[in-house]
Amino acid sequence: MAALAQEILFWALAVMMGIAAIGVVTSRNVVHAALYLVGTLMGAAALYILLLAEFVAWVQVLVYVGAIVVLMLFGLMLTRAPIGRANFDNDQRLMSALTALAVFGVTSYIMVRAFEGQTIDLTRETGTLTSSIGEVIFSTYVLPFEVVSVLLLAALVGAVVIARRD
Amino acid sequence: MQGALTSPVDWHAIAPELVLTAFACLVLVVDLFLAERAKWLAMPLSAIGVLATGAATLSLVGSERTTLSGSYEIDAFALLLKGLFCVIGFIVLAISFDYFRSGIRYQGEYYFLLLCSLLGGLVMSSARDLVTIFIAIELISVPGFIMTGLRKGDPKSNEASLKFFLFGVLSTAVMLYGMSLIYGLSGGATRLDRIREAIDGSGNEPLVMLSVFFVVVGFGFKISAVPFHFWAPDTYEGAPSPVAAFLSTASKIGGFVGLLVLMFKAFPEVADIWRPVFAVLATLTMTVGNLIALKQRHIIRLLAYSGIAQSGYILVALALIDPSSPGVSRQALESALVYIAIYAVMDLGAFAAAVAYARRGGTYFIDDYAGLWQRSPVLATLLTGFLLSLAGAPPMAGAWAKLFVFLATINAQVYWLAVVMGVNAVIAAWYYLAVVKRMFFEAPELEGPVEVPYFLRAVMGVAALALLVVFIYPPVITELAERSIL
Repeated sequence: MAALAQEILFWALAVMMGIAAIGVVTSRNVVHAALYLVGTLMGAAALYILLLAEFVAWVQVLVYVGAIVVLMLFGLMLTRAPIGRANFDNDQRLMSALTALAVFGVTSYIMVRAFEGQTIDLTRETGTLTSSIGEVIFSTYVLPFEVVSVLLLAALVGAVVIARRD
Repeated sequence: MQGALTSPVDWHAIAPELVLTAFACLVLVVDLFLAERAKWLAMPLSAIGVLATGAATLSLVGSERTTLSGSYEIDAFALLLKGLFCVIGFIVLAISFDYFRSGIRYQGEYYFLLLCSLLGGLVMSSARDLVTIFIAIELISVPGFIMTGLRKGDPKSNEASLKFFLFGVLSTAVMLYGMSLIYGLSGGATRLDRIREAIDGSGNEPLVMLSVFFVVVGFGFKISAVPFHFWAPDTYEGAPSPVAAFLSTASKIGGFVGLLVLMFKAFPEVADIWRPVFAVLATLTMTVGNLIALKQRHIIRLLAYSGIAQSGYILVALALIDPSSPGVSRQALESALVYIAIYAVMDLGAFAAAVAYARRGGTYFIDDYAGLWQRSPVLATLLTGFLLSLAGAPPMAGAWAKLFVFLATINAQVYWLAVVMGVNAVIAAWYYLAVVKRMFFEAPELEGPVEVPYFLRAVMGVAALALLVVFIYPPVITELAERSIL
């Protein structure tokens, strides 16, 4: 019963994410595109919840929806970029649609073939616990974790240098 | 899990990274308290930092150790590359000094970013884990985007930075997607040896192929392999020239290190799948790079296309790897390491000479190199040395670099690739020698002496001398490479 509910939820989310993703690339208005992006990213967060990875789900909401999309909208507003209908097309619609379809077809065919029939037994015990993420970040992955902080510092300094008025 | 938490970090093993991080932060803080005309002091401080990092690397020589649950490895391979990154860092600092002191604000920030990017190279050399490799390649690239755009008033620099950024982000996304597929395939392992075990028995060839393909495309951008090279010439031309020198050596070598480690440590079992991919990439990269270089009139663009072509020769080594014959693989990896080390020195030398000439009495246009021999015999001789080395001509080390890859190709019995290499060496010699001819046999159009700062002159002299010594006595580098096999 729970499995069926999960299946139904998954497909509902998948359809919503697909529609939103198409909206992102076909919308002629940048603000609309950014809002469609919220739909895709929230759908991904919901998928993480379905997989019992609640920490990743909330990080997804906080970082992607909360920070990145909002930053994008603020960026559009503050730089006085054209936010109405605008023509961003470079007459490559057909080519890009074909490329996207081809990539989608090939990857989904290969992935379905590779993982068909495999199931993951998801319970509270085997799901990604927030505490287990905390443990590996500060043991196995402590070095990349620290290196990321140097990376962020560099990005921060760089952003100030680029944005500063000379 | 509890056990992993209590396993101690081997501090000595990560000493080079710690020293470099400390100096990067020190540069950033000290810069805050320097007056505008004393900002150049950030450069000597950074140079001391790079030397200290080199010393920390040397203190590890002879030890084989791993730390952080085996995801970070200190072996001869890692140490050789860390040493090479320190050498590259020092030379780039030497090239930058004159350029940034007299031209650009944000000197302190520039040196900080340079050291951060260098740190990415050090981390990459030791990384034996998918997550660490990804973070390392990002740490190499991200400061690069900003350094490229440091000539803020120049639209060309802005364009260069934006192009580099967009291509870089796209390639990162593709690479990351490939890595996520590998993660799924291996059942959640990120350490390369575990991935290797998981892939060996998975029987999922199509998915392995797809993920390796995505990863190779991502790295292809970083090493500017054709057809992922479009950003390189524009970016090098628009960027401050010392940054271009850094991108064409440290950044590119970082990409190659990641590629070599991944292919040798994670995917040797499926080498039959990716070997032909590298053969095609190598052929395209060499040939297209060299053919377009023939028509260049701007020395930095010439070096950009020459750098693309040089990547092709290193890719040849990757196209030879065959786990079923360890001898061939060994030789291929050795020749790749020798090539990488020699390429770094000769390419930086050529960039140093070009930057010095453009800053002190010349331009970047090859036409204006006419008669340089009469204006500055020292600079003309040094540049000739570096160009001969890049062309693979004696008496410089570049000749051995090409020969070793060539011999490895013959030994692996991939004769068609050897022929492609040979033809390309001839095409390449043409455009390098055209610059040499212009410097020696044409009358100068520009007047006046060319005054190269003594420090830069000394660094270039040592680099040229090193190339000469390696030519006369190649075991200096070959024995090092032989001991540094993965």
